[in-house]
Amino acid sequence: MKKLSLILLLVVFGFQAYAQEKGSVLIQNATVITVTGDDLENTDVLIRDGIIREIGQNLNALRGVETIDASGKFVLPGIIDAHSHLNGVDINEGRNPVTAEVTMEESVNPNSVGIYRALGGGVTSIHLMHGSANVIGGQGETLKLRYGTNQEQMRFEGAARTIKFALGENPTRVHGQGNGVQPRTRMGVEQVVRNHFDEAIDYKRNREAYLQRKGEYDRRKRGVPPVPVAQNLRYDVLNDIIEGNILVHCHSYRADEILMLMEVFKDYGIKNYTFQHANEAFKVAPELAKNGAGTSVFADWWAYKFEVYYSTAFNASILNANGVTNSINSDSGELIRHLNHEAAKTVRYGMTSENDALRMITINPAKQLGIDDKVGSIEVGKQADLAIWSGHPLSIYSIAEMTFVDGHKYFDRENDADDMRISVNAGTDFDDTSNFEEIISGRSDDACMQDTFTLTEANHQH
Amino acid sequence: MKKRSTLLVLLFSGMICQASFAQTTPAHALKNVTLHSADGSVTQFATIVWRDGVIEAVGNNATIPFDAFVIDGGDSLHVYPGFIDGYATWGSPELPKDLKPLDEPGNPPYDRAGIQPERKPSELLDTDKAFEAGMKAGFTTAALGLKGFMLPGGVEVFYLSPENTRDGLFKETIGLAGSFREAPGGWGNGAYPSTMMGVMAKFRQVMFEATALQEHMNYYRENTEMPAPDRDQVLEAMFPLVNKSAPFYFEVDSKEDIERLFMLQDQFGFNTVIVSGKEAYAKSDELKRRNIPVLASIDFTEMPKWYAKTKKDEDSEKEEDSDEEEKSEKEEVVTDEEQAYRDRQIKAWKDEVTNIKKLIDAGVNVGYSSSGMDLKDLTKKLEILLDEGGLTEKDVVELMTTRTAQIIGVDRSFGNVTKGKNASFTVFDKPMSEKKAKVLQSISNGVIHEF
Amino acid sequence: MKKLYTFIFACFLMIGMNPAEAQITGKPEFGKFAIMDATIHTVTNGVIEGGIILIENDKITFVGQNVKIADGFTIIDASGKHVYPGFIDSWTSLGLVEVSAVAVTVDDAELGQFNPHMSAATAFNPHSAAIPVTRVSGVTTVLSKPRSGSISGKAAVMDLWGYSPDSMAVKKNAALVMSLPVSTKRGPWDSRDEDKIKEEYEKAIKELDDFLDKARFYNEMMNAFSANSNGKKQPDYDPRMEAMREVVTGEIPVIVQVSNEKEILNAIEWTKVQEDMRFVFAGVSEGWRVAEELAEAGIPVLVGTLQTPSRQYDNYQRPYQNPGIMAAAGVKVAIGTGDTENVRNAPFHAGYAATYGMGTEEALKAITINAAEIFGVDDKIGSLEAGKLANLFISDGDPFEPLSQIEHVFIKGKKIPMASRHTQLYEEFLDRDAVNK
Repeated sequence: MKKLSLILLLVVFGFQAYAQEKGSVLIQNATVITVTGDDLENTDVLIRDGIIREIGQNLNALRGVETIDASGKFVLPGIIDAHSHLNGVDINEGRNPVTAEVTMEESVNPNSVGIYRALGGGVTSIHLMHGSANVIGGQGETLKLRYGTNQEQMRFEGAARTIKFALGENPTRVHGQGNGVQPRTRMGVEQVVRNHFDEAIDYKRNREAYLQRKGEYDRRKRGVPPVPVAQNLRYDVLNDIIEGNILVHCHSYRADEILMLMEVFKDYGIKNYTFQHANEAFKVAPELAKNGAGTSVFADWWAYKFEVYYSTAFNASILNANGVTNSINSDSGELIRHLNHEAAKTVRYGMTSENDALRMITINPAKQLGIDDKVGSIEVGKQADLAIWSGHPLSIYSIAEMTFVDGHKYFDRENDADDMRISVNAGTDFDDTSNFEEIISGRSDDACMQDTFTLTEANHQH
Repeated sequence: MKKRSTLLVLLFSGMICQASFAQTTPAHALKNVTLHSADGSVTQFATIVWRDGVIEAVGNNATIPFDAFVIDGGDSLHVYPGFIDGYATWGSPELPKDLKPLDEPGNPPYDRAGIQPERKPSELLDTDKAFEAGMKAGFTTAALGLKGFMLPGGVEVFYLSPENTRDGLFKETIGLAGSFREAPGGWGNGAYPSTMMGVMAKFRQVMFEATALQEHMNYYRENTEMPAPDRDQVLEAMFPLVNKSAPFYFEVDSKEDIERLFMLQDQFGFNTVIVSGKEAYAKSDELKRRNIPVLASIDFTEMPKWYAKTKKDEDSEKEEDSDEEEKSEKEEVVTDEEQAYRDRQIKAWKDEVTNIKKLIDAGVNVGYSSSGMDLKDLTKKLEILLDEGGLTEKDVVELMTTRTAQIIGVDRSFGNVTKGKNASFTVFDKPMSEKKAKVLQSISNGVIHEF
Repeated sequence: MKKLYTFIFACFLMIGMNPAEAQITGKPEFGKFAIMDATIHTVTNGVIEGGIILIENDKITFVGQNVKIADGFTIIDASGKHVYPGFIDSWTSLGLVEVSAVAVTVDDAELGQFNPHMSAATAFNPHSAAIPVTRVSGVTTVLSKPRSGSISGKAAVMDLWGYSPDSMAVKKNAALVMSLPVSTKRGPWDSRDEDKIKEEYEKAIKELDDFLDKARFYNEMMNAFSANSNGKKQPDYDPRMEAMREVVTGEIPVIVQVSNEKEILNAIEWTKVQEDMRFVFAGVSEGWRVAEELAEAGIPVLVGTLQTPSRQYDNYQRPYQNPGIMAAAGVKVAIGTGDTENVRNAPFHAGYAATYGMGTEEALKAITINAAEIFGVDDKIGSLEAGKLANLFISDGDPFEPLSQIEHVFIKGKKIPMASRHTQLYEEFLDRDAVNK
């Protein structure tokens, strides 16, 4: 009875905002895919206050804790998408080749129904990224898909700070071709990075010297006061990159530009970076492995633009075989709904093992976002971000049935309403097609790419 | 024809108040009117006496001095305190058109980035039909800002006048205006910042640079042996915000944007007044906690057509129960899916129109701003506020007078028709909430404008 | 100036993309093959366990369990394996578009509103790098279609092996592709008011109807002339009108692209008054809303599943369910991805349809025989039957599953090398620095 009224409540108020909740639940008799360890059959997972407390057989639920019978079903860690623009208010601050000071943290739309659709594909976290218009774009924000909360509560506490870089066609087209400012070439791209790092280092020296002299002057009020050096957000962020406080995620495609950036980073002592898309990363897999660089790639996208023409769907498998930490990302509001299926393609294209395929959408992206100590596998003590699947998640016939973040159920296929919007536009009638979404289908362009296209060619936003 | 009648009005009003320009200034008195106060009280057969723009006496027993030019309300006129628009852009120069592409869109001049805090309405206001329209709607006073982008300029309070509001400055720069609007020019000719996050970052950078300049100027005052500062009127106009000495009149609507404003406030500690704030109710607790007032817009989304129709049907049903059959014939078929959609749509709409009510109930300081609304919609929107917004006539009058006056810091002079206040009030032919109520005269700073 | 740059850029690209290097995958084997001991998914005649398929030259000559294998057959042991008819993607730009972002490689959008005389087969590049990539995944045949204007041109059913469009075509002019004027706002950015939309819609519909009336007149006039030219002045030849003759008489179907509910209903009404013409709808993302109406109108559809819902308030699964809902209502459904270089995902579109209500058997039809029937090529392809072209593949499991491997592909009897740019790069770079022995 209690359950019934709870369900009713959910149906009626399903769309209303939840506070950020940490749930408790006992999932029983599932095949648990731990990802970092063995698959465990007929196993229970006990979640209390958002944390996985116990994994084992015949676990007892605490009083009042919901129990879910998952016999014949699979539990997979929540899928993590290392490259998404799912719910950005804006994606590209595309008016300057370097915009390190802007951050997607301030461009989060917590109400996008795309979040719910991603939950429906078993996704629990995304790396919300700036677009690829700029050589050094904005900072990224790692989110937990706590649908129905607000922008602040969606943030993944403790995730690494990240920033977007972009090489190749996009920045050279937007700035060089579009605005007539450098870079117009891949030569220019390298110099934009180097020049800005050098300027940032100079700024830091001058700023620190000023602050020291200011301290002295303000204390003693003697001598000539220093000329103030204003704080500069852009350079502050660049220095944070150089000092290793921010992880670089670099949009890149061609092998030569990947090598170029690794050389630049070597010169500035920057480590721990990930190449995004990286369609030609397979050509330099040994170098990537040697530098400890990660990659985050599409399962099979290619040929939509010239710099991805000489690429292969076997990219992920080659990288994996060469010891590169690789993730499979969506960069798309459509693909994010079935990243399990995208990961499965690495088995078809290059015979990656099933476990490695699943790592590419769970623990590997978690590593690239600095959250692998918190999520990305089913382990005691980790945060309870996971989904229950009707079958093995790499099968096309499997469906995500429930998705939990912090042990709180944000998606329930059986009981959710059709209409799961959070924000409702009072001015739009039911069949007003002006509010219809542009239908996103499989491949049209990568989202970063579309963005830059519209910057120079069309009028609408993304 | 229209021109001639304006001229006539001018002549006429000039005749009446010609005295106010003379050296000895006779008073004016308006007697035998129904006086409505912001607190809802009504005084019948009231008399109002004012001289030099100041109210000398009000009430049933007010003495009319010998030198007062007396207008007899003849017992049928209704006087309300002049409404105050807490933030309007009437008279503002229009936004720039046909912008040229920039050589360096990433490093635009201030104006192309939308950064113009140095601009002042008292220097830039144009004549605008909106002034007369505003007065015809009962407004006598307004805080005016300029049309622009992230930092459009200062906000100043004016006595309204159909002909020349620019010279009617009551109080200069009560605050700086701001918004999250990106730099002008669109995709073709735009500039940095072109996004929400860009505006946030650029605002911070401007604040940092203003802070540094101010420090430089201060140091230079102490010791001229150092290099002189490069003066910069734009950055200097930001000093009040840096020093937290003037509030930020920030035009913002969505819940998320209000949260973004909080982020900036947390960083820089400025005082802020929210302008428009259509979703402010969703943050009412936080607004109260931060003591942030809201100058709310009533520029509501149009009532859903199907809802307007249901309401009309309901009304006519009340009037005539007879044509049942005919009506059921016309009834449209609504699927369950569409009905569910409509339920949510109307809830969203009602949330919007009850914004002010919810803010008041939550104890947030609320006033009124037109904030870009077309005045021809005012009557319609006020009707919605009264019918669906949960406010009474008293609430509305209070909202547009004392509440607004207090937020923009002019409550010592405006908001009520009492002794010592500025003579700014409006004469209606019937209570303002009644259908087709019309403004006959508007008295602004003691000057009578006839309509 | 900017334009000049673009042009120079484009020239460089053309030099860079020498078509000769686009498709180097080796020669196929050709002759007689016996596929032994397979699980044969015939589509039209059920599943045969432990079955045999014989291929002689370009045709299937036997499908069954017991047959004596004559000399000269290459034996392929398929025990534990599955044989399926080659999959058909009914809605693609394959062969017409090489790199969508590089305009000079995009050949599916001609200028002009009425282009019935444009033929996709003309511009179909047999050496597109995407063709081998596609066929090794078991998709042996595609509908390749033009897309611009009101009447875009004719789409071709193409097999994915060959050195010329003619040798690859199953049917060169398989259908006419067109879009109907849209009677609703085209998107959030569409600022036209209702009157303007209505006015433009009615004007566009009238232009289209006039064009069709003219085509019908032309056809009758030409028929009359060829029936008896005595004493008649020969009418001038009009290539557009000539191309419309097989359309107005219903010899080939017209594919109409439609998406939302209202457009679909408008299109159904419009097709009702086009006597003698046959119609197929493509896109049809809101077909599930009007499945009954589509079924009643007898209009087949070409749809994909991997797309987002068209309305914010729609259930998140609708695009997956769309083919199943329509099929259940009695609509003939074929899978069309709308893709170019990733047409290889067509089996997965079918897989999602299968999972979300359509069932594996129906989904299999949607990617084989239904498509063949819609384009009138079911005498040649779409199922495993003796006498049909040997378009088929052997897999180690369910081909809708990404975990399965496609092991052999036959197109028109040719055993295709299982190589593409993607496999070749894999082989070269898996262990890049290993010494080549």
